[in-house]
Amino acid sequence: MKDIREDIAWAKINKDVLGSLENPRKLYWVILFCAFAAFGVGIGCEVYQYQTGLGVANLNNPHAWGLYISTFIFWIGMSHSGTLLSAILHLMHADWRKPIYRFAEAMTTFSLMTAGLFVMVHIGRLWQFYYSLPYPDERGIWPNFQSPLLWDAMAIFTYLSSSILFLYVGMIPDLAICRDNMHEGWRKKLYTLLSLGWEGTDRQWRNFRVTYLTIACFLIPLAVSVHSIVAADFAMSQQPGWHVTSFPPYFVAGALYSGCSGIITLFIILRYVFKFEEYMTLSILKKIVRLTFAIAMVWTYLNAVEFASVWYSSDQASKDILIQKATGTYAPFWWGMIFCGSIVPLTLAFKRAQTSIPMLFAVSLLLNLGMWLERWMIIAPTFSHGYYPWTWDHDQWPSLVQWGMVFGSFGWFTMLFMVFCKVFPSVSMYEVKEMVYHRSLHLKKSETAEQGAP
Amino acid sequence: MSQRHLLALFNNFEDAEAAIYELRAANIKGFNFDDLTLKSPIEHHEVENILGQRSAKVQWFTLAGALMGGLLGFFLISGAQANFYAQMKGGKPIVPLPPNFVLTFEMFVLGGVFISVLGFLICAGLPARRSPLYSAKVSEDQIGILVKADEPAMAKIKGVFLNHGVLEIQEEAGK
Amino acid sequence: MSVNNLLENWSQFRHFHPVDDKPHDPYKWAMSIDLDACTGCNACSVACYAENNLPVVGKEKYAHGQAMHWIRIERYWDEDDREFPDQGAQFLPMMCQQCEAAPCETVCPVAATNHTADGLNSQVYNRCIGSRYCSANCPYKVRYFNWYDYPSDDNVWPAEMNQQLNPDVTVRGKGVMEKCTFCVQRLHAAKGTARSEGRIVRDGEVQTACQQACPASAISFGNLVDPESRVHKQWQAQQVALDKDVQTKDKEEGGSELRGYRIFEELRPYPSVMYLERVRESAV
Repeated sequence: MKDIREDIAWAKINKDVLGSLENPRKLYWVILFCAFAAFGVGIGCEVYQYQTGLGVANLNNPHAWGLYISTFIFWIGMSHSGTLLSAILHLMHADWRKPIYRFAEAMTTFSLMTAGLFVMVHIGRLWQFYYSLPYPDERGIWPNFQSPLLWDAMAIFTYLSSSILFLYVGMIPDLAICRDNMHEGWRKKLYTLLSLGWEGTDRQWRNFRVTYLTIACFLIPLAVSVHSIVAADFAMSQQPGWHVTSFPPYFVAGALYSGCSGIITLFIILRYVFKFEEYMTLSILKKIVRLTFAIAMVWTYLNAVEFASVWYSSDQASKDILIQKATGTYAPFWWGMIFCGSIVPLTLAFKRAQTSIPMLFAVSLLLNLGMWLERWMIIAPTFSHGYYPWTWDHDQWPSLVQWGMVFGSFGWFTMLFMVFCKVFPSVSMYEVKEMVYHRSLHLKKSETAEQGAP
Repeated sequence: MSQRHLLALFNNFEDAEAAIYELRAANIKGFNFDDLTLKSPIEHHEVENILGQRSAKVQWFTLAGALMGGLLGFFLISGAQANFYAQMKGGKPIVPLPPNFVLTFEMFVLGGVFISVLGFLICAGLPARRSPLYSAKVSEDQIGILVKADEPAMAKIKGVFLNHGVLEIQEEAGK
Repeated sequence: MSVNNLLENWSQFRHFHPVDDKPHDPYKWAMSIDLDACTGCNACSVACYAENNLPVVGKEKYAHGQAMHWIRIERYWDEDDREFPDQGAQFLPMMCQQCEAAPCETVCPVAATNHTADGLNSQVYNRCIGSRYCSANCPYKVRYFNWYDYPSDDNVWPAEMNQQLNPDVTVRGKGVMEKCTFCVQRLHAAKGTARSEGRIVRDGEVQTACQQACPASAISFGNLVDPESRVHKQWQAQQVALDKDVQTKDKEEGGSELRGYRIFEELRPYPSVMYLERVRESAV
C-alpha cells in the first residue's frame, strides 16, 4: 500500500495543493449550485415558518421539539472529529493526521455554524434570541445560568470561536505560501492580510509551536465538555429516557463516531475532486477507518449499557419508552439506527473493506444516517410517550417544513465547505513537509545505523 | 555606522546550520550574532541549539488568560444570579454551584484560548511589517538566513555563506 | 459590589426550597380538587377560556394537538372487566400544578418562568423566547405554546367577538409559552384590596375562574398558610404536606384510607394541587 513518499519534492507539494485553489472544474460549480439550491429550500421554509409560526412545523403539545433539535445534536456531533484529529492526534504525535486535519477542522467549524442555525430556527421568537445572551442590562436582568440551554450557548460559542482560532492559527504559514505564489488580485490581498506578515522566522515558528500546542490542549477538554453539555440538555431534565447517567459519554462517543464517518466521506470526495491521491493516501484512510471502527464499538457498548441499565432498573416509565422504541411507531427508525450504527460498521473489520473506496463511501454515509437516526430516536420517543399517559402522542409526524430545513442544512454546510476548499488550502502544506522531512530523517538514521551494524 | 541586510538562501537545513555555526565561531566585527534570523518553510527546533534559547513566553499569557476567564466567569455568573431579583427557580439555591462550575470551565477555556492567541501575536511580533529582504523560496523549500550587519562586515559574512554552498545571496541596495 | 453582596448574603443564596426553607408567608396559593364531585362537565375549561383570553384553535389544530386549554378534563375508564368500560368513566381536571420546585423553571434559558413569593409558578410572556424547554421538562405537559399568531393572523376573535376579551389579561402573540396562572390577575386585585385595608386576603374572597364555574364545587382554592382557609383544612385533613415527596400516611403499611394525593409526588416537584381520589363503587 502506498503511503506518502519521503522523496516528494517540496515545491511539488506547494504546486499540488495550490492547484486546488485554481479555477474550479465544472463539477465544482454544479455541486456548489446544488448546495445553494438546497440551502435556498431551507431558507424558504424558515421564512414561511417565521411568518406563520412554529405550528407549520407540525409540532404540538407533547412534541415540543422535533427534527430541529435532533439535527442540532447531529451537527454538533459532526464537529467533534475535527478536534479529535487535529488536537488529540497532534498531542500524540500521530503524523498521519497532518495531510487531513485541515479539512477536518474546517468541518468542525462549519458544522458548528450549521448547528447554531438550528437553535435559531427552533426558538419561537427568533427576533428576541438575544435575551439568552448574558449582556449587561439596565434592569439587571440576566439569562438563567441554571439552564443547560445556556450552557450550550456558552459552550458552543467557546468551541466555535476556539476552533476558528485554531484553524486560523494553524493556517498562517500556509497563507504565507499562498501569498507568495498568488497572482495579483483580491486573493493576493486577502492572503497578505491574513498571513499577518508571516515569514517563517525562527521567532515566529517558536511561538507558533507553543501556541498551537496550547490551543490543542484546551480544545480537547472543551470538545468533551461541549457534547457532555448537549447531553446535559437531556440528562439534566427529568423525562424518562433522557434522565440517564451514561448520556454524556454516550453523546461524546456518538459525536466522535459521526464525525469520523463524516471525515471518511469528505476524505473520499476531496481526494477525488482535487486529485489529492498523493497526500490523502489509502494508508491514512485505513487508519481513520480503524479509528472509526473502534469508536463504533464504543458507541455500541454504551448503547447496550443504556438499554441494560434501563431494563434492569425499576423505572417503569423509562422501560416503557424503551419498549415503545423497539416496538412502537418509531420501531423502523430505531432498528434502522441499530443496524446502521452497530451492524454496518462490522464490515470495517475486514481488510478488503478498509481500502475499497466505493464501499467506504457507502458505509460512511450509512453510518451517518444511523447517527442522525440515533439523535432523532433520543428526542421523539420520549416526547411521544412521556410520564403523563393522557398526553401520549405516537402519531405526530414532522411536517415538510422541518424536513426542508434539515435538507437545507446539508446545503448550507456543503456550500461553506466548498467555498472554503477553493479559498483556503485544504491540505496543510507546511505540515506535510514536516511529515516528509521527519520521515526522511528517520529513514536516513536507520540507513546509517544499518551500515554501521556489520 | 549604517547597517545593511543580507539574505542567503540554502538548499537544506544542514548547510544553513553549518553556516550559522561558522558565523558564530568567526566572531566578525560589526556583526552581532543576535541579528541573525533563520527563515524556514517548516519548523526546525534544533535551531535553538545554535541560536541559543530564545524563550517563548506564550504560556504566561495562557495562564493569565485562563485564570482571568475562570474568575470572571464565576463571579460574573454568581453575582448576576444573586442580584437578579433573587428569584427562586425550581427550588434550587439562588447561586447553584454545579451549573456555575460548568460555565466557569467554559470561561476558563475561552479566556485561555483568546489570550494565548493574543500572546502569540505579541510574542511573535505579528502582524509584522515585512522584512526588507524576502524570497518566496523560503515558503517553498529553501532555508533563508537574514543577517543585519555593518557595511564592512558584509564581505566576510558573504564569504562564510559561500563556503557552505549558498544558492543565492540577496543584498539590500546601498543607501 | 456584587462580590460583597455574594459574600454577605451567602447563606441566603444557598438553600433548597421547599425542603429546608421556611414556608411562604403570608400567601401560598394552593388548590384541592375532589374527583368524586367532578362530573366532567368541562365548565371549568370554558370558564378558563373566557377568563384568560385563550384562543379557540379550531378542529384541525386541535386534532394536531395544538389546543390551548390551560385546564383540561381528562377521561379515564375503570378497567374492571365491566361490560361497558365507559360506565366506569372518571374525570381528572388537569392544569399547571404550580410546583414549589418546578422542573420547568430551572431549564428556561432566559429566566422567563420563576417561582414567586406567593408560591406560584409565574410565566413572563415578554421575556419568553420560545425554546419550549419548559414544556419538554414538565412531567404533566400542562404548558401550551402559541404555535400561531392567534389574535392577528388566525383572527380567533373577529370583530365584536373581541368585546368578550378580559381586559385584565393580555392576549399572547406567536412564539411564547403560556399556562395556567391560578388566575393571577384576580389574586393580584384581591391582594391589592386587602393591602389597602391593612389585612390579608380572606378565604373565599378570591376565586379562580374554574372554581367559580364548577357546578359541583369540586375545586377549592385558597391560601394554604391561612389556618382558616378551606384548602388548608382539606390538606390537613388528608394529611398531605406541601414539602414532602412521600407523605407520612403513605409510608404506613397497607397505605392510608385518606383520599388526598398529589400527582407525581415522587418526582419531587412538590405540586400545589391536591386531588381527592374518587370513591370507587367497589370500595363502597
